[in-house]
Amino acid sequence: MALLEVKKLGISFGGLRAVDEFSISIEKGELYGLIGPNGAGKTTIFNLLTGVYKPTDGTITLDGVNLTGKSTIEINKAGIARTFQNIRLFSNLSVIDNVKAGLSNNYRYSAATGIFRLPKYFKVEKEMNEKAMELLKVFDLDKEAELPASGLPYGKQRKLEIARALATEPKLLLLDEPAAGMNPNETAELMNTIRQVRDDFDMTVLLIEHDMSLVSGICERLSVLNFGQLLRQGKTAEVLSDPEVITAYLGE
Amino acid sequence: MKRKLRPTTRKSFVTYAIVTAAFIFVEILVSSGSASNMFKGLLVPFCVYSIAAVSLNLTVGILGELSLGQAGFMCIGAYSSAIFSCAVKDTITSPWVRFPIAMLLGGLVAAVFGILIGIPVLRLRGDYLAIVTLAFGEIIKNVLAALFIGSDSKGLHFSLTSQGDLGLEPDGKMIINGALGISGTPKDSTFEIGFVVLMLTLIVLYNFINSRTGRAVMSIRDNRIAAESIGLNITKYKLITFGLTAFLGGVAGSLFSHNLAVLQASKFDYNLSILILVFVVLGGIGSIRGSVIAAVVLTYLPEVLRSINNYRMLIYSIVLIVMMIFTSNATIRGFFAANLAKLKGIVSKDKTAVKEGN
Ligand SMILES: Nc1ncnc2c1ncn2[C@@H]1O[C@H](COP(=O)(O)OP(=O)(O)OP(=O)(O)O)[C@@H](O)[C@H]1O
Ligand SMILES: [Mg+2]
Repeated sequence: MALLEVKKLGISFGGLRAVDEFSISIEKGELYGLIGPNGAGKTTIFNLLTGVYKPTDGTITLDGVNLTGKSTIEINKAGIARTFQNIRLFSNLSVIDNVKAGLSNNYRYSAATGIFRLPKYFKVEKEMNEKAMELLKVFDLDKEAELPASGLPYGKQRKLEIARALATEPKLLLLDEPAAGMNPNETAELMNTIRQVRDDFDMTVLLIEHDMSLVSGICERLSVLNFGQLLRQGKTAEVLSDPEVITAYLGE
Repeated sequence: MKRKLRPTTRKSFVTYAIVTAAFIFVEILVSSGSASNMFKGLLVPFCVYSIAAVSLNLTVGILGELSLGQAGFMCIGAYSSAIFSCAVKDTITSPWVRFPIAMLLGGLVAAVFGILIGIPVLRLRGDYLAIVTLAFGEIIKNVLAALFIGSDSKGLHFSLTSQGDLGLEPDGKMIINGALGISGTPKDSTFEIGFVVLMLTLIVLYNFINSRTGRAVMSIRDNRIAAESIGLNITKYKLITFGLTAFLGGVAGSLFSHNLAVLQASKFDYNLSILILVFVVLGGIGSIRGSVIAAVVLTYLPEVLRSINNYRMLIYSIVLIVMMIFTSNATIRGFFAANLAKLKGIVSKDKTAVKEGN
């Protein structure tokens, strides 16, 4: 059985059918790409998958659990974490605290334990610090751990968002344009990091990206979206050589 | 010191040191006889307003929600603790036992009200908390100003109309006398106790902020959508924070009521809520240390300036403006931070600048 199973997902904003009859099935461990021209509905699909928007039609199933209509919080607890196209960090917190916020639900102690600094506070905080540093190292952010998140350059902010999402220990990671604003070197490095995350964390990744070098470089399968509808779905090389896909991107 | 302190830990320790140093300084002033009566009369209010301001800063600066009802929580704490102390002052004679229980009770009753308000309101997005707390403060003040409570051999009697309505036995005693308030509360508040409670408040707040819960709260403040995306339970964290603000507000009120011969609800009006908010804003939103400093300076100043009555409001306004520029203008803050860092570099050769304001 596939890890993520989406059937005939749809949503309308007023008269606009932003996503229509979108179905996708992603296997565990896959690196899957979602592409399409601007305004095609890609981010809207992420918002549907994470409960930011409630779908008007269709179902979402993760690892056999029906997540349709669940809240963002419940969906994260069920195992979907994401990054945002417009970076949404906790900008006044330090880099490491952004990651530790992500660890909150898996490394617990009560508010009273924190206020009274009971032994459990020190134990769990130590574990959190170690885990957070481990995650920051993966993204080469360990040296900036104590800096405020807003002080990081753009590319590093995107990486920090991925680290924070991973901190929630998801089964499925959604990346919305992770390479946006990065130069070719940074993009190449990011590709390696994403692969490494998949291998080391046993992660399944669904990513939206306009950078074709990244898409063709790391995605095993692709879905192409156009005006809210699925245009083509399949192996990366086949999809990218499809004439219809080429016109959707270059024509209009 | 072998391990380097984290910046947040260092910040809290500096605040503890400043408050302790100020306390020792004042104690020396008082015991050497060089403090005026006016100044001595302000010592407990310094602590009361500092506690009220730092705890409000938790909701305004750390949670990022506007509350205009801090006076309401102080009022509840003041009344419930005073009623308790009046009721038990003949049975529990030691203030060392009675007063801590009274403060705890005042805080808890205020926290219950805070949570009751928070449950419906904090689910909503937008500035509803400001509107509701504003109304809450006024309602509490007016209800308590109309409340009569007396006790006699048959127990407690309540009325919302008049003293006569209570039907007290001749030897019964009044506890709350409507708008005249509560008189006869034991005068348990002292500057020393106020200092201890302020220190405990600061420790609680800093520990809270630098814990898993505080981090979650600040995450919600910085970006609600992202906080939801990592599974943080928004309503729960908001409620905990607002409840803690109400609790500490209640404690401040308890300290206040045990410092007065007569306690009247009319003291806890809208102006007091705004005054405390002014302490928070001018001390720097989110800066615990700033709230304490602003509360003390702005409580002291109007009293000192009484002697030059004509220029009083003028000087007070100038100080407000200067403080505002200091604490809210990033450029000027940066300028002073840089120069302070240079100074520090000369003094201690420590080149790392401490960045205040989170
Ligand atoms: N909350 C909303 N209300 C109304 N319309 C919306 C809303 N969210 C998205 N849309 C519309 O839905 C369509 C799809 O938007 P979406 O953000 O999903 O595009 P996208 O594929 O992510 O584009 P891009 O590559 O530019 O990020 C757009 O026409 C957009 O204006
Ligand atoms: Mg998008």
